[in-house]
Amino acid sequence: MANISTSTNTQNFKVVLLGEGCVGKTSLVLRYVEDKFNSNHISTVQASFLNKKLNIEGKRVNLAIWDTAGQEKFHALGPIYYRSSNGAVLVYDITDEDSFQRIKSWVKELRKMLGTDICLVIVGNKTDLEKDRHVSLEEAETYASKVGALHFQTSAKLNQGIEEMFLTLTQKMLERVAEQETQNNTLTRQNSQRRNVLVVEDDQVPPPPSKHCCGSS
Amino acid sequence: MYATKQPTLRIKQADLKCKNGCGFFGNAEWEGYCSKCYRDYMQKQRERNTSQEKAEHSKARIPGFSKFEEKKRQQIDKKNKYLKNFTPVFRKSSSAKDSGKSERHHELRHSNPEMEKLTAEYITKYGVWGEHVRKDFLKCVNSVYTKILIDIDNKPIEDIAELIQKYYNMFSDRLNRNSVYEEVISDVRDQMLDFFEKFVMIGLYSVLFCPHTTNDEEKDLAIQDRIRKLSWVTAHHLGCCISETSMEVRDLVYTAITDLLGIDSVKAPQEKLACVVRCCRSIMEVLQHCQGAPVSADEFLPALIFIVLKGNPARLKSNIHYVTRFCNDSRLMQGEGGYYFTNLCCAVSFIENLTAESLSMTEEEFKAYMTGVITPVSAWESALVACESMHQLCEHLSLLKNLSERTDAVQKGTGELKENINKFKNEITKKVSSVLAKTPLIIKPRKTLIDFDLHESTNDNLPPPIIPIIKARPLEEIEDGNHNLATTNLFPFENTGNADLQSQNEQQQPAFTNFYEQNLQLQSIGLTSDKQKSTLQLNITPCVPDLQTTELSFDNQSLNLDEQQSGFLELSNVNYDIDFSDLSADNSVAEELTPEKHKSPSFTPDPFSPIGSSCNIAQTPLLPSSAPLLPTTNTAPESTSNPNQTNDFFLPAAEADRVETILDQTEEMCTANLPTPLKPTTSQYSGFSKQGWQIPSIPCNTGDYSSLNMSQSQAWVPNSNVNVTNPNKNNQNNDEFEKQE
Repeated sequence: MANISTSTNTQNFKVVLLGEGCVGKTSLVLRYVEDKFNSNHISTVQASFLNKKLNIEGKRVNLAIWDTAGQEKFHALGPIYYRSSNGAVLVYDITDEDSFQRIKSWVKELRKMLGTDICLVIVGNKTDLEKDRHVSLEEAETYASKVGALHFQTSAKLNQGIEEMFLTLTQKMLERVAEQETQNNTLTRQNSQRRNVLVVEDDQVPPPPSKHCCGSS
Repeated sequence: MYATKQPTLRIKQADLKCKNGCGFFGNAEWEGYCSKCYRDYMQKQRERNTSQEKAEHSKARIPGFSKFEEKKRQQIDKKNKYLKNFTPVFRKSSSAKDSGKSERHHELRHSNPEMEKLTAEYITKYGVWGEHVRKDFLKCVNSVYTKILIDIDNKPIEDIAELIQKYYNMFSDRLNRNSVYEEVISDVRDQMLDFFEKFVMIGLYSVLFCPHTTNDEEKDLAIQDRIRKLSWVTAHHLGCCISETSMEVRDLVYTAITDLLGIDSVKAPQEKLACVVRCCRSIMEVLQHCQGAPVSADEFLPALIFIVLKGNPARLKSNIHYVTRFCNDSRLMQGEGGYYFTNLCCAVSFIENLTAESLSMTEEEFKAYMTGVITPVSAWESALVACESMHQLCEHLSLLKNLSERTDAVQKGTGELKENINKFKNEITKKVSSVLAKTPLIIKPRKTLIDFDLHESTNDNLPPPIIPIIKARPLEEIEDGNHNLATTNLFPFENTGNADLQSQNEQQQPAFTNFYEQNLQLQSIGLTSDKQKSTLQLNITPCVPDLQTTELSFDNQSLNLDEQQSGFLELSNVNYDIDFSDLSADNSVAEELTPEKHKSPSFTPDPFSPIGSSCNIAQTPLLPSSAPLLPTTNTAPESTSNPNQTNDFFLPAAEADRVETILDQTEEMCTANLPTPLKPTTSQYSGFSKQGWQIPSIPCNTGDYSSLNMSQSQAWVPNSNVNVTNPNKNNQNNDEFEKQE
């Protein structure tokens, strides 16, 4: 929703990475953007905010991938992160049942706050540890289809499925944007949309910190 | 406006004067009197009090006093009223009247030095795009100014923010569509949009930053107070790994804090955002220093919270609100600045809602910290307090802690190393002892030597080389093919060797027979023709090194062999020596034996046994020479098929070979000690005479032992003896043959 086509014809998307700590969010995005896994060999200073430029069917797309702190104590800060994001990548560890449960709470929250404006992708990471799997593929896939999310299995270590996952997400976001454009041609101002989002917030969720522009006073 | 102001001020000034109207300034402490009048007043009051006590009935004065008090209260009320009016004069003067608004606008446009600076900046940056661009730009800016200044007091700040965002978008559209900006390239257009934002926001900063219609200021104070209360929170509490002692890290942390504090000192939202970005980049560097890997949000957010807690930036909330409201949305939603700003918002939100749980400590502990019962000291804290010595103290403390930890680690490591060394030592000794137990080889060879010596003494005289006798009448004796068979029979009696010895005996015997045969050949050659003999010698010479090598191989293997075996080996050496001597000697006779031996299966060398190989080596060189010789002396069919009939020489040799093999086996069955030495002698012997049985058995043993006992130099002697003795035996044999014949 926040995509602003600047003078150049680039579509900007904001994608947040959500998921518990140690599920491999950072590895995932580093693998995608830098194609590197071993963190010791990576030149980038930070892996929390990364840009990836894509060209899909002639459309230039710029993905801004926002990493989020996965610790439980920062869970309440989620709304600040995913505010006005176009897509969310929810990562869980296939060897960790808890991380999958955590995903469910994220999905619930996201759907409440952002409705269907946001494209969700649920990602089971660490498929290289298949032998320790604790989250069955069927369970995850049925859940994903139930909440209208895509489901992928990836391995940041083996570089499996990551490219595909981001590509599919981007395509879906492009579709969503096209839908929105046809739907509300009248609402050209993104700010009105921004407000709508915040209205939803006020209704349903513990108020995110008052620094939201429309939230306070 | 100005006129209205003046009287209020004058009144106030008058109000400040002494109540007595003496012209001096009064003071509230002195109840509105000047110092002199106050003294008088106090004195009067004191007198009045005493007079009251003295004369309670003098009531006429009291109403006067109350009247005075009433008057005073009225004055105070009046004063308050003035003051109330007074402040709005500064704050809201513009809102009331149009004249005030215009004045403010005027003020913003012209009297503000920053506006002049901005205009100058515009000219240097975008002046090249022409006058009409500049005019349009300024027109847009002015329209925003007027609109905002009209609305500022009538609308909530959120509406104003939306208005500003609208203006940004409008200007963006204008940049892209209006013909005025046609010539401006797209990159510069983006820059101009940013500059428009900056221009507008700096111009309206005083109005829009922390506007009076909001409670931003209160929130600022609240968060500031909150952070101050949380000053005890350390990096450890937040679970982020910032090492306090590293100078580099410390510098980076201070840089980050400085950048964060810088937010308040710049005016444009984008500049504030830039400060946040700089701060966060420093934090990233800090974290990379501390953990060495790229920083993910999991580590970054706690660190940012830590920096915010330590920095406690002024007017934090106001700044955050200001940026969220008036920064161009596109920048805030995306891009690095947006990301870091979002994180800052998260950090502030976290600090506001911080509980014991979020610091992973108990409620009691948290309360104790909050109420100051526990007061931890950290290097950051003291540094920020700017007490250098305390800072150093804290740093040294943490340094010492680190050092002691490292010492512990080193000590632990040394302990482990010691343990490992001991373990390794034990293992090695164990292994070595086990290996020693398995293969106690070294002692045995010595024993064998001693044994041989013992044997030597007894058997010295026996060795049976019979060659010289053969020389005398080779053809006649050999003609009797059956003699060999007789000799073969002899061996079984003699042999009582161990089963182990069989293989070697087998091999050795053929070798010896070979030698013997060679000798025979040489001798025969010598008899037949000098030329052939010479060729043989030539052929033989190359054999010498081969023999030596075989000897060496024996030596190597002798370690593993039993006493007797080793004895055999040495015997074989001896035999070789004998061969040489034989070769040198010009004895003839046995030449025809060689080819058969060559062909006989028993001669096939045993590749595994050193002796067999030695035999081969000894033979092979000889054979070529012998092979050509055979046809000359003997017919080919004789050598191959029926040696007995055709050629006397062949038969005995062939038979002898077969016999030898059989004999060897039998020998092994018999006495263990005897067989090795026997072979050479027996073989030689067998080839020549039937009768030799008993004789060869004895001499063989003797010859071998003698060789064993002697050192090499000495060994030669027995060999020569053997050669010498053999002829005697041969003679005897021959005699016997003769008798039989």
